[in-house]
Amino acid sequence: MTAIVPEAVDAGALPRAQSGDHDAFAEIIEQHEAMVFSLAYHFFNDRGRAEEIAQDVFLQLYRNLGMIESDAHLLFWLRQVTTRRCIDLTRRSRLKAVSLEDAGELRSIERHSDAFLDRRLRGFIEQLPDIQRAVVTLRYQEDLDPSDICRIVDLPVNTVKSHLHRALQSLRRKLGERP
Amino acid sequence: MNLDNDLKRAMRRESPPAGFAERVMQRVRSGAAPASGAEARRPKRPPLHWWRAAAASVTLAVVLGGYAVHRQREGERAREQVLRAMSIASEKVAYAQQQVRDIGSH
Repeated sequence: MTAIVPEAVDAGALPRAQSGDHDAFAEIIEQHEAMVFSLAYHFFNDRGRAEEIAQDVFLQLYRNLGMIESDAHLLFWLRQVTTRRCIDLTRRSRLKAVSLEDAGELRSIERHSDAFLDRRLRGFIEQLPDIQRAVVTLRYQEDLDPSDICRIVDLPVNTVKSHLHRALQSLRRKLGERP
Repeated sequence: MNLDNDLKRAMRRESPPAGFAERVMQRVRSGAAPASGAEARRPKRPPLHWWRAAAASVTLAVVLGGYAVHRQREGERAREQVLRAMSIASEKVAYAQQQVRDIGSH
């Protein structure tokens, strides 16, 4: 399987951005914004939240530009940071769920998600456990193999395969398909 | 139904709302901190320069010292007023006693 790789950034955009060229950094954003935004969007099924996360990821990239070694490293870094940020935020919202003060806010998030119920599959993916959601997103949005995904989520390849298998089983069950 | 194909179709990349890169660049130029995540959650403290700390200490010392001197002067002034009041009262009493004695001798 061939992973989706964005078209090559203009030659030298990375080193130019690293030397403080804002136009070069804007080029990098434009090159990768769909990938970063979509990872967050497919994780949360919420465009507003996805934009917020994507903006934060690029700001984090700007502050860490010096440690990016190549365009390939940049792609890996963006996938990894976006995925980890999504997982972290999900875990934090789960902790927030026990707080009574936040109950109203959570109810509004649920209402917001209800607006997407017509997108059945995305709705089901949204209900998957965080790691399964990340694995499915990287597998089907980015067309990555479990051997690539395991580096991003920092888990053994067999664990990634197992998460993927369980996620697909769960999706099939919800769709009424025979596993 | 082919789940693999359905998932690929449902999860194809989508572009963020128009002007995304410009919004990020605005935050880059303004040196903004992330709006979410651990870094945002942690309140950022401005760096404490030694000279700022020293200036604050000197100002505090001057203010506290001035206040202490002010309180001491107020105390002294009150003490003087009490002593003067007692002195006046004592003179009045002595005068009254003298008057009583004079009336008695007539």
